[in-house]
Amino acid sequence: MMRFVLLLLLLCASLARGAEPDLLEPDKAFRFSARLKDAHSIEVNYQIAPGYYLYRDKFRFALTPAEAKAGAAQFPRGEKHKDEFFGEVETYRGSLSIVLPFEVAKADISAIKLAVTSQGCADVGVCYIPYEQNAELKLAALTSSAPRSDAPASPFGVPAAAPAAGGDDDRVAALLGGGFWLAVASFFGFGLLLSFTPCVLPMVPILSGIIIGAGRPVTRTKGFTLAAVYVLGMAITYAAAGVAAGLSGAMLSATLQNPWVLGAFAAIFVVLALSMFGFYELQLPATLQSRLSGASNRLPGGQGLGVFAMGVLSALIVGPCVAAPLAGALLYISQSRDVVLGGAALFSMALGMGVPLLAVGASAGALLPKAGAWMESVKRFFGALLLAVAIYLVSPFTPLPLQMFLWGALLVGSAVYLRAVDTLPADAGGVQRFGKVVGLIALVAGGAYLIGAFSGSRDIFQPLAGLRATGGVETAHATPFQRIASVAELDARIRDAAGKPVMLDFYADWCVSCKEMERFTFSDERVKTRFQGMTLLQADVTANTAEHGALLKRFRLFGPPGIIFFDRDGREMQGLRVIGFQPAERFAAVLDQAIGQ
Amino acid sequence: MQTRTLALFAVVAVASAMGGSAYYLWSRSSATVVDRSLTPGAVMERVYATRLTDLKGAGQGLDQWRGRVVVINFWATWCAPCREEIPGFVSLQERYGALGLQFVGVALDQPDKVAEFAREFRINYPVLIGGLDVMDLLRQAGNRAGVLPYTLVIDRQGNLVGRERGGLKESKLEGLIQPLL
Repeated sequence: MMRFVLLLLLLCASLARGAEPDLLEPDKAFRFSARLKDAHSIEVNYQIAPGYYLYRDKFRFALTPAEAKAGAAQFPRGEKHKDEFFGEVETYRGSLSIVLPFEVAKADISAIKLAVTSQGCADVGVCYIPYEQNAELKLAALTSSAPRSDAPASPFGVPAAAPAAGGDDDRVAALLGGGFWLAVASFFGFGLLLSFTPCVLPMVPILSGIIIGAGRPVTRTKGFTLAAVYVLGMAITYAAAGVAAGLSGAMLSATLQNPWVLGAFAAIFVVLALSMFGFYELQLPATLQSRLSGASNRLPGGQGLGVFAMGVLSALIVGPCVAAPLAGALLYISQSRDVVLGGAALFSMALGMGVPLLAVGASAGALLPKAGAWMESVKRFFGALLLAVAIYLVSPFTPLPLQMFLWGALLVGSAVYLRAVDTLPADAGGVQRFGKVVGLIALVAGGAYLIGAFSGSRDIFQPLAGLRATGGVETAHATPFQRIASVAELDARIRDAAGKPVMLDFYADWCVSCKEMERFTFSDERVKTRFQGMTLLQADVTANTAEHGALLKRFRLFGPPGIIFFDRDGREMQGLRVIGFQPAERFAAVLDQAIGQ
Repeated sequence: MQTRTLALFAVVAVASAMGGSAYYLWSRSSATVVDRSLTPGAVMERVYATRLTDLKGAGQGLDQWRGRVVVINFWATWCAPCREEIPGFVSLQERYGALGLQFVGVALDQPDKVAEFAREFRINYPVLIGGLDVMDLLRQAGNRAGVLPYTLVIDRQGNLVGRERGGLKESKLEGLIQPLL
């Protein structure tokens, strides 16, 4: 359902924006509809966009099946023009209503299909090739049906243009174009979809860590309440940050995603993780604690404030992962200034994202053991996950060998805790043996990462690739981007491109999806071959100077990721933006469009 | 106790797997948008493979002008902006024809109207009649809305160097062509 709504809106959006700037798709320029006026005539209606016109003598009508015969169409009076070649021609502007009489030879026909071919032009100085639009009319009910355009039946009929691949931000902005509640509901669904992306997975261990870290036996209600508070914190942050950023047009994610902030978060996770491993108990001073517990007796949910704060922080962490919907919503807010709708949409999106977390909260209360040795194992498991999140957080700005070392260390450490190196007692049960298997796998994988780190492997997904005797280290050719840092530089480079399509990639060191794009998409052969005919520009906005801000503002972007294309005349190709990660196949299709323009 | 923990792990594993596949499907679904426009090279292949009939009804391949600077102009008699640019084309053909410039008109129109127009405006270059496949070619060449006039400029090496939508001023086209000759 969600996907359907999205596609529908995408379709509207792409038709509205059109593949070529300043020119409407024929379906939009000449909106067509038809209905049965009575049993013997059809009313054909056109809503012609301002600046466009249709020729009176170029209409052609066809009815199917063959038993239905169209009579002579009755046209209203149009505008008369002197045409040097055709003499006098009549054209229509605005709304047009044509009556087409018809007869049906057989009585048992329940529906007829009408195909109308029209020819029109735009005042900007182009004409559309003959365009066919279709409608199905039900005779029995004397009702109309939605018009549609499809494959051509006559040599001058043309198929409806394929919608251009709109950028993700377009799609989201289109979503917001609908009704208020539709937008809010759609965003909730969107959030729900996002919750299935890997982005939200880091939140699960954070939340579980909180719930288990509460120490005392966690009831179902308490787990759920804690999760709810956490999700609420996240949602309010999104709403507030969205509105604030939209109003100021500031580079939200840049300020929150710089190495220092991310590093601080990572440090918090490490601290939390270590307490999970039982190195120390994280406790507030006794006096404060007693005062707080007194308060929490009155307040349901216990350490609500802390959990809420954690939710707020988590929202910021996962930010870049959900860049596309965020950018779309921010784009809309900044353009429409509809702060209420923008905030509400982001809030409901975050709530949608939080649904699985609520489930975790509710189930954690039910599923987690109340006490005992197993509790310790689960705590350690989440401790390991928290450490993994910490490494993930710092990975964008950590050199690869160090990243691999950290992953290796984590895996080896986990293996030791899983008792991979301890001998199993002869009477060990299934669970113990299973744990040992997992531990050994982690040990080997961790070893591989450590070796990779020390042998200079360059691929985190192939830590031992550097050891290949014959293959050697893959020389990953960096994409030949020209760096630009200001609007003036951009304009100059676009001028220099002279006839070549231009791609502008916004990049920052902290932008995870930019790195993914570089590693998985730009390096793909299909993408590389298409790059050859293009001028590639890259704006590294890591430093976030005033000039960087001006660059972003020019394209109504709030920060990377964002890839923008310019046609051969140096104009931006609307509707072709790529925001967020795209796999090579999809990206290659976008490039084809950019080149084909 | 043990089963409960295992159940938790199972839930997490299943949720991750479901999430992964849902994300995959979702990201794939947005990739299904059909792209009909081709790369310049592919457009030229299509252009050279196109055969049309001329005003006498004889077949003409668009590849016969290889080696010259070719301007292919898609037009129609009922399209006023198309008609406006044609006198300019006639003049350019007259001045640069000997240097290797070749205009080719492709009309999406009725042959009798086109023949009448060609006589009246003294078109001094070949005019061919286009049908359904030409409309397809137009779209693949990047003219997605399907509009006229549309003009392709091809250099001597057969590279597509210009695509112009809408009426072309004689001076602008001249500036585009001169460096190619």
